[in-house]
Amino acid sequence: MNWGMMMAEDDMELDQLFAQARSARPDLPDDLAVRILTDAETVRLDRLKPAAPERSVWARILDGIGGWQSMGGLVAASAAGVWIGFAAPDFLPDPATILYPQDTSFVVADLGLDTTFLEDAE
Amino acid sequence: MEDLTSPLQDVRGTDCAADASDDALLLQFAEGDAAAARVLTARLGPKCFSVAQRMLGNRAEAEDVTQDAMMRLWQMAPKWVPGQAKVSTWLYRVTLNLCVDVLRKKRPDRLDDVPEPEDEDLSAADRLQEAARKDALQMALSQLPDRQRQAVILRHIEELPNPEIAGIMGISTEAVESLTARGKRALVAILAGRQDELGYDDG
Repeated sequence: MNWGMMMAEDDMELDQLFAQARSARPDLPDDLAVRILTDAETVRLDRLKPAAPERSVWARILDGIGGWQSMGGLVAASAAGVWIGFAAPDFLPDPATILYPQDTSFVVADLGLDTTFLEDAE
Repeated sequence: MEDLTSPLQDVRGTDCAADASDDALLLQFAEGDAAAARVLTARLGPKCFSVAQRMLGNRAEAEDVTQDAMMRLWQMAPKWVPGQAKVSTWLYRVTLNLCVDVLRKKRPDRLDDVPEPEDEDLSAADRLQEAARKDALQMALSQLPDRQRQAVILRHIEELPNPEIAGIMGISTEAVESLTARGKRALVAILAGRQDELGYDDG
């Protein structure tokens, strides 16, 4: 038998082995199929889960300062502040006179304007 | 959760989705259709498993690689652009890459994979049977360089056309032909006990 014939025989043997391998291709084992489909189902359900609803700007600001409960206190404190500004109790000094302790006529005089019209009005 | 106790029963029957293309099924799955996953698993799972088994020669590892590759398919589904490539091409590539990862991790301690020395007391007939039992082809395949092994498995066991193999492996059709030819020559030499003729060049 010469070298070429030997090689041809070896090739035939290999082709037979390939044919056997093709006919013996494994089925997907059932337990593996279950594992694969469980993964698919997990991915699918994750994707179907609705995204968390977008919260409005006001809702987020409210969350930041502690919700509706804290809002009541905040409103009461703000209302008290407004009232004190509007009608300060007698025992409190008037903040305007502390900051600007002048008469309005001085202010106008400082500007070098003619103030006779003020006197006329009086 | 869906009932998964008989996972592939539906698709072996008369499921209308079984006629749809892989592209269409992947799209349906991305849109939330569980039945599409069953058809895809029945269709592509065995291909994945067969290639992984031949690449790795180990059933448990092949099962893990198959599950991993299919998981990547499920996760990739919403990004899939139909018509650009075949789903099976993508999946074969992912499977082969995962196999190469497994093989790389195993290489430092491959002593377990070395075939046992043959028993001198066995008769020729017994030895033949023994070789068949151990799957001579698998033994020979495991000695091929990775790229040759991939090309030979895809061409001669999965029976894919060369252009598709080229797409899977990211090489030219000529390179596929060269790899399969060298792989076959190497297998013949290994099976004939002429390993010394092997050139372990890969590419």
